[in-house]
Amino acid sequence: MLLERVIRFFTSLRLTVVLLVLSLVLVFAGTLGEVHLGLFKAQTEFFRSFFVYWQPAGARWKIPVFPGGYFLGMALLLNLISAHASRFKFSRAKIGLWIIHAGLILLILGQLATDMFAVESQMHLRQGQMKNYSESDRMDELAVTDLTDKKLETVVAIPERLLAGQGDIRNAQLPFVVRVREFYANSLLTTNAATGFVPANADTGVGPGLWWRQVPRETAMDRRDLPSALVEIVAPQGSLGTWLVSDWLEQPQTFTADGRTYSLQLRLERFYLPFSLRLLQFHHDVYEGTDIPKNFSSQLLLNRPDTGEHREVLIYMNNPLRYDGRTFYQASFDPDNLGTVLQVVKNPGWLTPYLACVLIATGMVVQFLSHLIPFLRKRRTS
Amino acid sequence: MSSVPSLTRCPAAFNWMGLMLLTVVLAGCGRDNVNVYRLANDDSSSASTPSNPPAAADQTEGNPAPPPLQWTLPSGWTEIAPGAMSIASFKVPGTNGAEADVSVVPLPGMAGGDSANVNRWRRQAGLPEATPDELQKMAEAVQVGDQPAELYDIAGQGSGDTNAKRILGVIQQRNGTTWFFKMAGDAGLVGQQKPAFVAFLKSLTFTAAAPPTGLPPGHPALDGGGDMNAPMLPAGAAGPGKPAWTVPADWQEVPASQFLLVEYSIAEANGTKADVNVAELSGNGGGVLANVNRWRGQIGLNPVDESDLAKLTASLDVTGGQATWVDLTGTDANGQPMRLVAAIVPMGDQTWFYKLMGDEKIVAREKDAFTKFVQTARYANAP
Repeated sequence: MLLERVIRFFTSLRLTVVLLVLSLVLVFAGTLGEVHLGLFKAQTEFFRSFFVYWQPAGARWKIPVFPGGYFLGMALLLNLISAHASRFKFSRAKIGLWIIHAGLILLILGQLATDMFAVESQMHLRQGQMKNYSESDRMDELAVTDLTDKKLETVVAIPERLLAGQGDIRNAQLPFVVRVREFYANSLLTTNAATGFVPANADTGVGPGLWWRQVPRETAMDRRDLPSALVEIVAPQGSLGTWLVSDWLEQPQTFTADGRTYSLQLRLERFYLPFSLRLLQFHHDVYEGTDIPKNFSSQLLLNRPDTGEHREVLIYMNNPLRYDGRTFYQASFDPDNLGTVLQVVKNPGWLTPYLACVLIATGMVVQFLSHLIPFLRKRRTS
Repeated sequence: MSSVPSLTRCPAAFNWMGLMLLTVVLAGCGRDNVNVYRLANDDSSSASTPSNPPAAADQTEGNPAPPPLQWTLPSGWTEIAPGAMSIASFKVPGTNGAEADVSVVPLPGMAGGDSANVNRWRRQAGLPEATPDELQKMAEAVQVGDQPAELYDIAGQGSGDTNAKRILGVIQQRNGTTWFFKMAGDAGLVGQQKPAFVAFLKSLTFTAAAPPTGLPPGHPALDGGGDMNAPMLPAGAAGPGKPAWTVPADWQEVPASQFLLVEYSIAEANGTKADVNVAELSGNGGGVLANVNRWRGQIGLNPVDESDLAKLTASLDVTGGQATWVDLTGTDANGQPMRLVAAIVPMGDQTWFYKLMGDEKIVAREKDAFTKFVQTARYANAP
């Protein structure tokens, strides 16, 4: 029967071996890929993907050529669970093995959950500055903000990944279509003609005076792309104009549609928080008489109106702030010691490796005891 | 080997697995969605001081980081919201409705070059383009902050007439960034305000806090520096163990590859080049013999053994100790002559490897500069 054949396939040890060999090849190829792609891109393309794709130079299409990290991880998990479910019978003698396998499954699932759901971002604060959001360290978003109501702004944030696909973007909050005419994932802007630059064909906002060019994507971990896009706003009565939006432009550009005022800005993706942090002071302590760093710490004011919480917190190396499901680490600082950079990690699966290790250790102890106790009893009776 | 399970034995396990995997896959796809936020605005928070907490801080956005420069505002000037490319803008009112604008724009790199920009201003003032020589004669020396710069006074046709346009433009290169300072407006008013503009330029103080490249706050510099994901070091600062050294002017720093601390390129117009790189390893880094043989292999030479080593190496005085010096000549993969000069500097429990390698003529010319570079390096862990 077909279903039985499928189950036999998924429970086979041969599949385990094939998957492990494929994983080995993937890790090898991914490691080599880092040479040209850089760590971040190689991780994304080889390990944080279902397939590794091949794209000929200049082509817009790509084809999957090898299973990616997610695919192999999931297949191994499926293989482990199905083999376990089909072969192991539940008995007191094997309870330890059950616990060990449960721990392994939790470990793999936890890592998958971390990879898919964990969000890392950064919060850069100057002394005295307050923010209620952190920012992605490399992904952008097009923020279309309704500024009409001075008391309540509505932000429609379109992620860079959608802009890259170009075409029309519609949202119920917007009385117009955002048409992405061109998108450069990494770009340069200038105010006048220079080699390789072409006029940005924008007819509204700051774009008409600017020239732009596409540049290769950044692959180094410590640099990021600065995207730009040509965006047309199309209302039911017709086009309202074409704007050049860019990460290079710090100021939003405003326009009016349907009697309401909107702003357009391509900026780092933001993650809003239900509380705010204000940097009271950043300390950079050194060992006396030397420039050798001793401690970095950020004294912050945490304010949460919905609970009335209002207190000072101190974040320093190895002492992050864990609050509201997020962890704020001391990550970097400004050269003048008047600003701090906090790494903000939100990882719903952060407990799973701990639980998995406890399960595996418990399983091993139980399995050991389940053999030791009968052995001792047997010896005593004999 | 394995028995095929019947469906009645483990249906729940398979259903559960399928549901679980589907959930994970679908949840992961949600990252590409358009997000909508509603943010209540309360200006009181941005005005509050650290000791006076905001009333409704959760819904407000942070104050922008201070601009990367400070100034003394001339009397009569009003600061206005900066434009898209500028980081500071001012309005200068005159009599009879005359007006002038002042803007400060930083752009990375050469930003098109001086003459192209000055000619752009000339076109704006209705004047024909000028040659670089002519522009050179027009330039007036001014001071921008603590550094000299050139001012171009571009008066449109009919200068002195209140309707004519006049532009005062200053371009200054500073740490890989081109700064544009411009006053434009009514010719009579701009003439009157020229001393105030010059005084404004002199009063500028460039702070190190924000990137002076026009980049978004927190963005790494485009010249290879940067603080994103950086270790606990200020951007541009030397690492805790990185030596302080003086780099010859004609060495061009390039992004260092993995395992290297720093890398410089010395290129000639005819396409020949040589590279200088520095690496640091703990302990003895594999020892002198292994490294000399590694370098010999890079220029097509056979390895030597310990007994030949003394003939190939020399001793070099460096700050805080002695270095092992090697000078090798070989060929590259195409048979072209190559020369490699290198120094191994043991310092405390670390070893520093300096290497100059490339075209034979360039290496011969740069050898003295390289020697000085190695000898004058100062180490944090020097005795």
